[in-house]
Amino acid sequence: MHLPQHPELLDKLAASYALGTLRGGARRRFETLAREQAPVRAAALIWQARIGSVAELQTPIQPDPTVWMRISNLVRADAERQAMRGAHGASAPQGPVGWFRNLFVWRGAAVAGVAVAVIAMVAGMDQRAKLSMEIASLQAQLQATPQIKYVAVLADGKADPSMLVTFDARHNKLLLQRVGGYQEASHKSLQLWALPPSGGPRSLGVLGAEKLLRLSAGEGDVHEIPTLAISLEPKGGVPSAGGPTGPVLFKGALIQKVL
Amino acid sequence: MSPSTSAYSLNPDAELMDLLDRIANRDELALKALYEQTSSKLYGLAVRVVGNREWAEDVLQEAFMTIWRAAADYRPTLSPPMAWLGLIVRSRGLDFLRRRTADRSGVTQELDEVMAETLAGDSPNPMDTTSASQQAWALHQCMNRMENCQREVVSLAYLRDLSHSELAERLKLPLGTVKTWIRRGLEQLRTCMARFA
Repeated sequence: MHLPQHPELLDKLAASYALGTLRGGARRRFETLAREQAPVRAAALIWQARIGSVAELQTPIQPDPTVWMRISNLVRADAERQAMRGAHGASAPQGPVGWFRNLFVWRGAAVAGVAVAVIAMVAGMDQRAKLSMEIASLQAQLQATPQIKYVAVLADGKADPSMLVTFDARHNKLLLQRVGGYQEASHKSLQLWALPPSGGPRSLGVLGAEKLLRLSAGEGDVHEIPTLAISLEPKGGVPSAGGPTGPVLFKGALIQKVL
Repeated sequence: MSPSTSAYSLNPDAELMDLLDRIANRDELALKALYEQTSSKLYGLAVRVVGNREWAEDVLQEAFMTIWRAAADYRPTLSPPMAWLGLIVRSRGLDFLRRRTADRSGVTQELDEVMAETLAGDSPNPMDTTSASQQAWALHQCMNRMENCQREVVSLAYLRDLSHSELAERLKLPLGTVKTWIRRGLEQLRTCMARFA
């Protein structure tokens, strides 16, 4: 049918096409006509714009202030990722920094949601999205504390983040947050180590079972330390001098925040 | 300082477009300014699309990340800036609902804050024209002439991308009623909008 010769019918079809209530075969036929005949396409565009304005007429609601913090952190992470890419070039070394950047990549993808989340509708996705949210909101909190000078995300061998470590220079505290599901057995303890560029590992403290815990540390303990690691030790930990005795479970680059 | 600064209050569209241009150049302060100006409007929309305030926060976040990455695509659309922003929020919201449906198929429908209010709404004019474009203003004039229930059903059909039967099911109304309301609503809209063409 030459639809442009029936302006009223064209208008009706275009309106219900734009609203979305024109479905099934009728919708497909209309789309075909629109592709073939410019006036049909024009009518569809006009109605899409008109109906689309419904989106502008909804009652405003003030969102929670944490939403902006989350966005701001993701944007900053995005910017850092770009900067890192620029600094390291295409052949960036893999290792702690490599996966740290990857974390930003998948977090960015998961949060932006768009194609990735829709296509990769696997069970694990929800988990990852949740984790990325957790990290984003935790980072939002960190952002609100001006004295955070160092940040590390420690990951296990599969590069799944398991521990977020920050250093608060104002209170001389290391703040550790468990982000993965790992829980050591009751007769074991996790111990945090600084791995200096030269010399053996130095113990920064033994972790309790809480989700969030603080360890006292001076800035000298973390200054110019490239990597932090967590080992599985007998209950109560081992003396610093001997170094870790158990396996290293999590490891990650310690990054100085430049703000 | 840009010379157009003083004209901002007179032309909100120009201000938003200027912000979008700056965001396209990765200006974080511009994104913050855009958020301050539009977030309550867009969050209100997100709540309507997904029907839950907590989910709507995620949608708003995803929408702003999309805006951050795709601001350069704005100009070629020739849309009023608020219309473009609204479109992004709606599609992020619909993505969110699709993901949820896929994740939890078979789970009975959760309480929907919006649907619960929709037909109880006695408010004579729940539409809001704050920072609406000229085109939205026209739609507002026309929708005001509809009966409340027609306006609501037409709005929801679009915002949530629902078919007649999905609407009937969600709103617990007979299919015939929904079809009639939509048909009459659209018909009224058509004759009314023709005057603004």
